[in-house]
Amino acid sequence: MKFASLLKKELREMLNTQTIFMLLLMLFMMYGMGGMLNKSAEKASEESSRITICDLDDTKFTQSVLMFLEHPTSDMQNEVKTVTLKSDDYAAELDRLDVNSFVIIPEGFTDDINNGKQAKVTYVSRMTSMSMLSNVNVGSETALQLITSAVKTAMYSDFKNRGKLTDDEAALIEAPVTVDECTIVRDKSENISQLILYSSLYSRSLFMPLVVYILILLGSQTMINAVSAEKLDKTLETLLSAPITRLHVISAKMLAAAAVALLNAVVYMIGMNNMNLSPTGDIGEEYTKMIEKLGLVFDFRTYLLIGVQMLLTMLISLSIAMILGAFAKNIKSSQTLLLPLMFVTIVPFMACMFLDISTLPGAVRYVLYAIPFTHTFMASDTVMFGKTELYTAGLIYQAVFLIICMTIAVKIFTSDYIFTAGEFIGRRKKKKHAEEDQ
Amino acid sequence: MEDNRPSVLSVEHLSKQYKKGVYASQDVTFDVKEGEIFALIGPNGAGKTTTIRMIATLLKPTEGDALVGGCSIKTDPAGVRENLTYLPDEAGAYKNMKGRQYLRFMAEMYAKDRSQVEGFVKEAEKICSLGDRLNDKIETYSRGMTRKLLLARTIMSKPKIAILDEPTSGLDIINALEIRRMIKVLASDGMSFLLSSHNMLEIEYVSDRVGIIARGHLLEVGRPAELLEKYKADNLEDVFELVVMKKDITGW
Ligand SMILES: Nc1ncnc2c1ncn2[C@@H]1O[C@H](COP(=O)(O)OP(=O)(O)OP(=O)(O)O)[C@@H](O)[C@H]1O
Ligand SMILES: [Mg+2]
Repeated sequence: MKFASLLKKELREMLNTQTIFMLLLMLFMMYGMGGMLNKSAEKASEESSRITICDLDDTKFTQSVLMFLEHPTSDMQNEVKTVTLKSDDYAAELDRLDVNSFVIIPEGFTDDINNGKQAKVTYVSRMTSMSMLSNVNVGSETALQLITSAVKTAMYSDFKNRGKLTDDEAALIEAPVTVDECTIVRDKSENISQLILYSSLYSRSLFMPLVVYILILLGSQTMINAVSAEKLDKTLETLLSAPITRLHVISAKMLAAAAVALLNAVVYMIGMNNMNLSPTGDIGEEYTKMIEKLGLVFDFRTYLLIGVQMLLTMLISLSIAMILGAFAKNIKSSQTLLLPLMFVTIVPFMACMFLDISTLPGAVRYVLYAIPFTHTFMASDTVMFGKTELYTAGLIYQAVFLIICMTIAVKIFTSDYIFTAGEFIGRRKKKKHAEEDQ
Repeated sequence: MEDNRPSVLSVEHLSKQYKKGVYASQDVTFDVKEGEIFALIGPNGAGKTTTIRMIATLLKPTEGDALVGGCSIKTDPAGVRENLTYLPDEAGAYKNMKGRQYLRFMAEMYAKDRSQVEGFVKEAEKICSLGDRLNDKIETYSRGMTRKLLLARTIMSKPKIAILDEPTSGLDIINALEIRRMIKVLASDGMSFLLSSHNMLEIEYVSDRVGIIARGHLLEVGRPAELLEKYKADNLEDVFELVVMKKDITGW
């Protein structure tokens, strides 16, 4: 009996409207996230069955390979586009053809097959993002498999016509094709597989957004605690009635919270660096050189550009936390107030890990772009893969957003709001109780 | 008895609406002379804190104005802040600071130079009589100790007027008495005080003049003795009852 009452009270305290609302919001966002993931997975697999191919050998055999590639079985169909290349500059050719990858069947392909040798194809692809789905599904594996089975089918029907199969031919038919891979980043190309590039760099691409996320989390947490504590202890009233400018009060808070967040970020960075996530650790010297040549390294410029993004994001989250802190009625509510901010942070964070946001369908993309933090989560992509316009636009948007947030924060701290905001509900309840008491 | 000391604070028709149509304080007018202790007395929700916050430049008045040491809270809030200190009711201090650190920090907010900081801190140490406990963190303080620390902070810089919202609430008789005595001593040195309280009996002893406030209206202002005589009452509580009843009958 008593226990039941206690339990009921606890549940009522813990499961209030606010938490339930957040739960629903969470569910809603998860659905959205899932939808987004599905959509781009679909798109990626659609893209992998769309093959752009350039047949430089152009024999009867390769023509039948292309035919089998297009119709592997009677009820299956791949979208195959045959093109001709105008130059060896693959980066330029990708741009001209407006595709992200193509396969080249080199001259002598048929001769190799006929001579019982493994034949080679070249797979050229452009890497545009560090995100998981944009790298995993474009893999040359799919193309290679499709082509291999097409070659096999062509060989079978060839041999069938001739009526016999030698031992060598039987061995060859197990694996008739190998692939040479060439990955393009911006205008540079190296003979390295995109999948290898991704797997040697993904730890880094995870690590940057993680640091950003922690930065936002800790910064805003520190800030909202500081503001609500000052408000609830009424030390803020004391400060604001003292002969100091309120701008100083605000900026000291911002600066301190930023410093604390930065300190945290530095510690995390050092810690994570020690975990040996750097690409040099587990891949050969040769690969490291290629990665460097492709410009996929964190040099000074990269750090600077990403750093500017991070700074803006941090200041934005701090000023939002400051605004939210003004609405705190008690310590518990200050934590709850932070939840929406955490939410709009975690969505782009997750999205950036899995998806190349810049390739998402319109509405979803712009919703994500509207969250200022998205641009920072995307920063390593936009900076390293040369999406300069996107970077600049994001930066401008963030700057505008920051100015608006700061203005609101200053407005709140220099007006009645800081003392009246958030009190309405509490006060009204108190008043109602008081009236009932009378 | 005519008081021709200059006014340190003069409040003129001060009103505050939090919501349209609902006045938390309405048309409040009074003044506080140099070296005078003035108390706003009234029940919970009467509008004491609202009035005080407007004077301390924390809330903007809906109507009216107040001059603190000649500076208007509307046109020169920065000047006002130079002339007053404010102790909010139920205020705390930075819990991670030690008592002395807090005093020094606040002294730096008010002082014009280094030596003044030292002077303020020394003064505050004397006033709060916390002794060695000043080296302890504020989170280890009892409510009374915190209150004394904050009170010392409020008066250490010798402002023209110190505004204390419920200065003795939550204190035991001895500590309350000590604080009242301290206020009286400082006032005799020329510092002015604006206090608020709903404990009318205690206010009777400490204040030179009181203003009775209820539902946002300042209903009566006068010396305690004058009011007792005027309403033929034994104490201020009775006076308060009579004032509010009279207003209820005649309407406001
Ligand atoms: N931030 C606010 N928003 C809305 N109404 C408010 C706010 N602050 C105070 N009020 C209302 O204004 C009126 C006066 O409140 P105030 O705090 O000034 O009273 P008080 O005399 O200080 O009372 P107490 O003795 O309880 O401290 C009350 O009715 C209160 O509900
Ligand atoms: Mg009050």
